[in-house]
Amino acid sequence: MNHCIVLFLQFCKFSVLCFGGGYMLIPLLTAEYVDKEQVLTMSEFGNLCSVAQVTPGPVGLNTATYVGYVNEGFFGALAASLGLIVPTILIGCSAAAGINRWKETFLVKGMLKGTRLAAVALIMFAVTIFLGMSVFTQTIPWESFGALFKLERPVLPEGFTFSPAGILICGVTVVLMLKTKLPTTALLLGAAAAGAILSAWF
Amino acid sequence: MEIQTLSRARRLLLLYCSFFRITALVVGGGLAMLPVIEEIFVNKYKLLTREELLDMTALTQTVPGIIAINSAVYIGMKIAGVPGAIAAAAGAVTPPFTVILIIASFFPHLDPKNRYLLGVFAGIRAAVTGMILVTGCRMFRRTVKTRLEYAVVFVFFVLAIMKVSPALLILAAIPFGWCYVWWQTRRLAQAEQAADASKNSETTSNIPEHEEGGK
Repeated sequence: MNHCIVLFLQFCKFSVLCFGGGYMLIPLLTAEYVDKEQVLTMSEFGNLCSVAQVTPGPVGLNTATYVGYVNEGFFGALAASLGLIVPTILIGCSAAAGINRWKETFLVKGMLKGTRLAAVALIMFAVTIFLGMSVFTQTIPWESFGALFKLERPVLPEGFTFSPAGILICGVTVVLMLKTKLPTTALLLGAAAAGAILSAWF
Repeated sequence: MEIQTLSRARRLLLLYCSFFRITALVVGGGLAMLPVIEEIFVNKYKLLTREELLDMTALTQTVPGIIAINSAVYIGMKIAGVPGAIAAAAGAVTPPFTVILIIASFFPHLDPKNRYLLGVFAGIRAAVTGMILVTGCRMFRRTVKTRLEYAVVFVFFVLAIMKVSPALLILAAIPFGWCYVWWQTRRLAQAEQAADASKNSETTSNIPEHEEGGK
């Protein structure tokens, strides 16, 4: 029960900090559950995001439900989902109705400017997290790149290489997203099928 | 259908069912919901105008929280007040919650050694990487314009890699944003003053009327 309350409060925090859509949850969640509490491994987190992405519904909510379920079962899932929506309802019902009126004030403008810049940086960070689970075979070893500052050759850990299937699918997805108007569902189904077929070869 | 003729309970039910349908059918993030929201609330029920929908789109990306729930809360609020906001949010949550619970309870029974299953997940992860990359780049192009902003984003990115808590980064970004906007307005005002001064010296006979800098 206590854990559920903790989960609820954690997700309230994520909800309030989540400027710029559901992908912002990725860095927040990995920092909390992979790095700090270690209830999930990075690859479990990756699978979780995959499930969240292919099932209907907003990615943020799917991820919250799943993380809650992995942590504390049904009530954990409930606590996490509620944590994500309660602050939104409170904000929506109090301040936000008038935010259009305050949009030009210094306080709101400054807050938006700052948080948007941070959001861009954190989404780029989320990309690097995902690159470590798809295009590369392991989390990107940033510590090794520290050697570059000393003008030495970075020593990469064993097993850190490119994954050909990952590069191919990621590249094709980017191109299709930019050049066509294919719905997300089609892209994901295609990627899943391609992954299964390519796994037979690599 | 005229909303004025609907009783309060019917309105709440309508909101719950509409958002239930929207999140049950739409795969992907909150912005993917927009066309469906437009179809239901603007075209079918005529509860919102196109302009209101545009306002709402801007608003839902302004306030914190995931976009899907933000949209549900604002539309609910607009149509039936606070109970409407709650009904709409509850409707938006129910389908993903149920679906994920079912999947999550099956998940441990899947064979983690099955090569094709692992391939499926690897494929989806790779596609998701591409999707976040495209979303991130679009956001980057919309948000980051000046050289200083490039530098700030880079610093935040490096700090995130160095395992500084993302929550802390977002909180730190708020006072930074205030300083930045203050500095920008001041610079703008100074530039305007300088322009005024040079105008004054050129045409001494004609004093330009004093104008407040952009608020």
